[in-house]
Amino acid sequence: MEERHLVAYASKEPSAFAEMLGGLIEANVRAHPDKRKDFDALIARVGIWVTDIDEGVTLVFDAGRLTVYNGLEPRRTITIRAEAETVMSLSNLKIGILGLPVYYDEVGRGVASKLVLGRLQIDGLLPNIATLNRVTRIFSVH
Amino acid sequence: MAIKAFTAEWADQLKDEVNKSSVYKAAAKGWKWTVGLVVEAEPDKHFPEARGLVMDLFDGEARDIKVGAAADAQKCDFVITAPYSRWKQVAKLELDATKGMLQGKLKLKGDLPTIVRYTKASQELTMCTTRFQTEWPDES
Repeated sequence: MEERHLVAYASKEPSAFAEMLGGLIEANVRAHPDKRKDFDALIARVGIWVTDIDEGVTLVFDAGRLTVYNGLEPRRTITIRAEAETVMSLSNLKIGILGLPVYYDEVGRGVASKLVLGRLQIDGLLPNIATLNRVTRIFSVH
Repeated sequence: MAIKAFTAEWADQLKDEVNKSSVYKAAAKGWKWTVGLVVEAEPDKHFPEARGLVMDLFDGEARDIKVGAAADAQKCDFVITAPYSRWKQVAKLELDATKGMLQGKLKLKGDLPTIVRYTKASQELTMCTTRFQTEWPDES
């Protein structure tokens, strides 16, 4: 029996970016039981705004379901703002011990330096570090 | 000497450039899937028929790159489709391929986590198209 859809799109015409993120997360979650565990536990509203294409999405995680909205919706837990290349780097972060993202390899150092230089902005970071780590694990292709 | 875009000679030159690139060799280590680029026709740009580039890429090496029918490219493991003028923008570095995909200007078919894992390799493939002169049909 085919498993139910894990990802839904709020708009009848999801943007290419919305479909790409939704597709990426669904593929990750279906392929990795550890990511599925995170996905089933996560309740959060995550905004991602790509500054150099002026497009964004809101990912509404609801304990095993994800709805992807075109654009930024209100009441977001975390909002990530970065250029397209950095957004792709976030999904290339490796996951290390204790399920924490690895910031000491080439990709991780690149992401960390963009955070320090303000080219990667994360609103709501400090009170939601555990949520961000969980989102990163789901988002990571490693 | 400039080589006509999306011809057999152009594909051969691209293959040589890919195989010369140490950056590609390192970034594409472990890659084992075929990639098809579908170049859609734009008759008003002197590109009257769709063409397909079939790229047999394996573990950091371009084993073969051929130009043929769009249908051949559509059979590959990963297929990226765009009109002629978009590909020209990519090859001239006027459009970043990653941004193009996020904006839907380039349509991607294939396993997303795999292609994301090899973002650096795909960027270097684009750079390889800039390392030789191309004659564009709408500029000649």
